[in-house]
Amino acid sequence: MFDQLLSLFKALMGQTGLAHFWWGNLIMIAVGITMVFLAIVKKYEPFLLIGIGFACVVVNVPGSDLVMPGGLFHYAYQGVALLIVPPLIFLGVGAMTDFGPMIANPKLVILGAGAHLGIFVALILAKLIGFGLGESGAIGIIGGADGPMAIFVTMKLAPHLLPQVSVAAYSYMALMPLIQPPVMRLLTTQAEREMGMAQLRPVSRLEKILFPIVIAALVNLFFPPVAPLVTCLMLGNLLREVLLVGRLAETAGGTLLNIITLVLTTAIGSTMTADSFLTVKTLEIVGLGLIAFVFGTGSGVLTAKTMNLFLKQKINPLIGSAGIASVPIAARVSHIVAHKANPRNYLIFHAMGPNLAGVFGTAISGGILLALLGAR
Amino acid sequence: MVSIPDTVQGAVLISIIDFILSFVIISGIGVVLTLLPLVNRKWKVDEAKLKQGH
Repeated sequence: MFDQLLSLFKALMGQTGLAHFWWGNLIMIAVGITMVFLAIVKKYEPFLLIGIGFACVVVNVPGSDLVMPGGLFHYAYQGVALLIVPPLIFLGVGAMTDFGPMIANPKLVILGAGAHLGIFVALILAKLIGFGLGESGAIGIIGGADGPMAIFVTMKLAPHLLPQVSVAAYSYMALMPLIQPPVMRLLTTQAEREMGMAQLRPVSRLEKILFPIVIAALVNLFFPPVAPLVTCLMLGNLLREVLLVGRLAETAGGTLLNIITLVLTTAIGSTMTADSFLTVKTLEIVGLGLIAFVFGTGSGVLTAKTMNLFLKQKINPLIGSAGIASVPIAARVSHIVAHKANPRNYLIFHAMGPNLAGVFGTAISGGILLALLGAR
Repeated sequence: MVSIPDTVQGAVLISIIDFILSFVIISGIGVVLTLLPLVNRKWKVDEAKLKQGH
């Protein structure tokens, strides 16, 4: 009788998650809670980190069916894996974004390429430590600091690395206020950080309407591999700038983007299971991602300093780091660091120019990478 | 198409080509943006009419 009760109890325990719990789950739950903590207490990108952190906690409680076929997180992940979510994110971002600062100061678009050295440093280092060339490309693109683009390129080059690459990309984007300032301060003098900048010229409505049409055509012509993302970005922006379809622009940049953000963050968080995540490979990718962000930030600042050697009207080198993309986080970081150095400095609009150019810089780098590696 | 070897040299080669081409292409976008204000000389858009749907 007692034996029967014991075996029944054991069978019952086997049905719960407790039997499958191991220390890895505990670590990942701690990681998830840390993300939620950073989002709520430190206000680090709460729109991203709350969903990612919460899903990370839930999927590391063994027994959770959410990531199994039939579970909601499983289907959220399909949206990412099938590349439905990244273009829709870009559609929403385009509908929310005023490209005026980039149009108003075209010379600053160079910073969108200059701040991407990190991609290539990470790519070469990844190859050096034994990753394949496609895998190295996917790891490198973390340095583009553009979540949807990182997902897109990774799905084309090394889909098996999607969990690690997307988590690294989004986590570092959220942690940019911590990663970037020390690098920016290290590479600039106090006088450079205090430097003010002249007001931008006003951009006409016609320019703003023509911009997305021209860019979409050029990208489709020259970069078909990444055209779906940039085309959606430009469509969203056109909806915004024509002023005629406010409802569509509001939906794309509001409700739709919110829904897609929910899907994206829970999908990414749900990939952070201890079994697949606590590996040496993950640690290597996370480390390389950090190196990519540091080098990208540094190369952006140094590109801006180099430009100052030739420009009559000097620019504050701190806006160079915004060229890494991650709109608008990197621009905000540039503004905050400059504002701390000189409270009269208000560089957010100036930093938005290279920041937006960084989106194109990542798309261009990703497009060339896909073309060179023969991926479509 | 020339295939890039799956080696460290291949990674360096890709990186150099990609980094340089990125500068060239983004400069091209910069040129397009520099030319964009020229349209203001020829045409003008009335925002009030746009909002009304005319």
